[in-house]
Amino acid sequence: MESVLITLASIVALIVTVMGARYVHVGERSQWTLPLMIVVFALQLSELGIRGEARAACPLMDIGEICIFAAWSLTMFYLMVGSVYRLSLLGVFTAPLVLVLMLAALVPGALDADPQPVSDHQGATAIHSALSVLSYGAFGLAAVSAVMFLVLDKQLKGGHPSTGLFRNLPPIHSLTQSVARLLFLGLILLSVGVIFGFTAAYEGGISNHLWLATAVWIGYLVLLSVWQFRGMPPRTFSITAVFLFVFSLVIFPLL
Amino acid sequence: MNLICLGLNHQSAPVELRERFAVPDGLLGDEGAKLTELNDVAEGVVISTCNRMEIYVAVEDLELGSKVLRNYLEETRGLDHASAEHFYEKHSVEAAQHLCRVVSGLDSMVLGETEIFGQVKQAYKQALDKGATKGVLNRLFQKSFGVGKKVRTQTDIQRGQTSVGSVAVDLAEKIFGKLKDCSVMMIGAGEMGRTTSQSFMSRGAKELFVTNRSLDKAVDLAGSLGGTAVAFDEWEDVLAKVDVVVSSTGAQHPVLLAEHVQKVRRKRKYKPLFLIDIAVPRDIDPATGEIEEVYLYDMDQLQELAADARERRLEQVRICDEIIKEEVEKMLG
Repeated sequence: MESVLITLASIVALIVTVMGARYVHVGERSQWTLPLMIVVFALQLSELGIRGEARAACPLMDIGEICIFAAWSLTMFYLMVGSVYRLSLLGVFTAPLVLVLMLAALVPGALDADPQPVSDHQGATAIHSALSVLSYGAFGLAAVSAVMFLVLDKQLKGGHPSTGLFRNLPPIHSLTQSVARLLFLGLILLSVGVIFGFTAAYEGGISNHLWLATAVWIGYLVLLSVWQFRGMPPRTFSITAVFLFVFSLVIFPLL
Repeated sequence: MNLICLGLNHQSAPVELRERFAVPDGLLGDEGAKLTELNDVAEGVVISTCNRMEIYVAVEDLELGSKVLRNYLEETRGLDHASAEHFYEKHSVEAAQHLCRVVSGLDSMVLGETEIFGQVKQAYKQALDKGATKGVLNRLFQKSFGVGKKVRTQTDIQRGQTSVGSVAVDLAEKIFGKLKDCSVMMIGAGEMGRTTSQSFMSRGAKELFVTNRSLDKAVDLAGSLGGTAVAFDEWEDVLAKVDVVVSSTGAQHPVLLAEHVQKVRRKRKYKPLFLIDIAVPRDIDPATGEIEEVYLYDMDQLQELAADARERRLEQVRICDEIIKEEVEKMLG
């Protein structure tokens, strides 16, 4: 049942990606992106529900669960904030990332086949994990917006802005604002997550994950502070947002 | 009942002739009503814009109707043999299709422009108010408005901008979104720069600064555009607070250099800066475009984009004509 849900969610995300890309190519916006992303969200939620019940806790105990939770969080933020700018196009850019995360969860061994209830359930640890992964949804969507900015920036700089994609992308100003707002939201979530992490660590010792989460938190804090107070070129800002997200996404599973 | 369209436009007649046959805006309905007093003419609508003057009438007999119309123009506007050569006359299906093409902007100087839609609507309304239209022309004009809307929504005839000024403003909107928070600086008093700056102001730019070597000229221009004049030795300070620069001086060497932008980057907090160079020789050092947050477009690039849009619109004409043909056939049953 679980693999069916994950596979279905992956297939729908794939459909959004392919269909969206085709619409973008001809310079139109797909009206199917939003409803299909809602379907993806529902499928992810069902799967997380099953895992949560099995764990009797927030389902963040193995790589597969973390991937699904991060994909769910990304989809949720897209559905929440996407209406600020052109919904369907942000969805088209978000869907591939969701697809990758869902496929990662399908890799054999990623999901525990027989999830056991968490015995030493600690509230602070659960909140730390949930908020940290949730913050990655916001950071992920910020990275997606940043990629959209970089695409638009390249077309504008190149002096030949007349593709279908160009016509459908939101203005540079809206994209950079979205990146900043999503980073800010992610930073708040991660801040609370890190605080709960240290609260839990007070009893059980500080893990490498927590140190890394703190380093990522500092990275985002510095980026946002420089952007807000000193100012920085939007391209550097966007590249850094993408880099920080990819870095954190890659480094956590390695630890 | 038959339909006749008799008229001239920017393609068939020079401006002096179009001026002679033009009908003032407020008198279009009266003119249509006068036509219905003519022998054999049952209904009449007159369209008159800067690019065309066209008469649409419903008549019993095409040959007689045509003769009556030409006699009327001869008596009222001095239509003679020489000027008659600049007129075109279309009957029935051809006339109906022509009206649909006009309303859709396919017969306009700027292909796909939308202003003509409102102008025809206004002319028809005046004729309707004066009782100059009945079954035939009411049906024809209502249909043409429906076709005009269909053509605009179902084809790309309106896509892209076809003038340099509009292309520049569209690009600015792609960078800044709405222009209500945008400040524009115009360097030089060139005509093209003035037109472009005007486009920015008409699309809602917040403020305009005008600088020129001759301060008097800058003051005049700023006054006419609703902007603020800046002395030429002070424009570098203004650069720190504007979002768009339109440069069109007659200088032989670049006026705006990369170092000017470098100096104010920090002060601008690295906000995007859109530089539009519509001078030949160029006013803005191309190296400026290499600065991260700077988007630099010169005359060639803007003209190329405008030409691309015109070409795309031309490609759409065939599709539009097919829609018009189909709709007119449907209307005539």
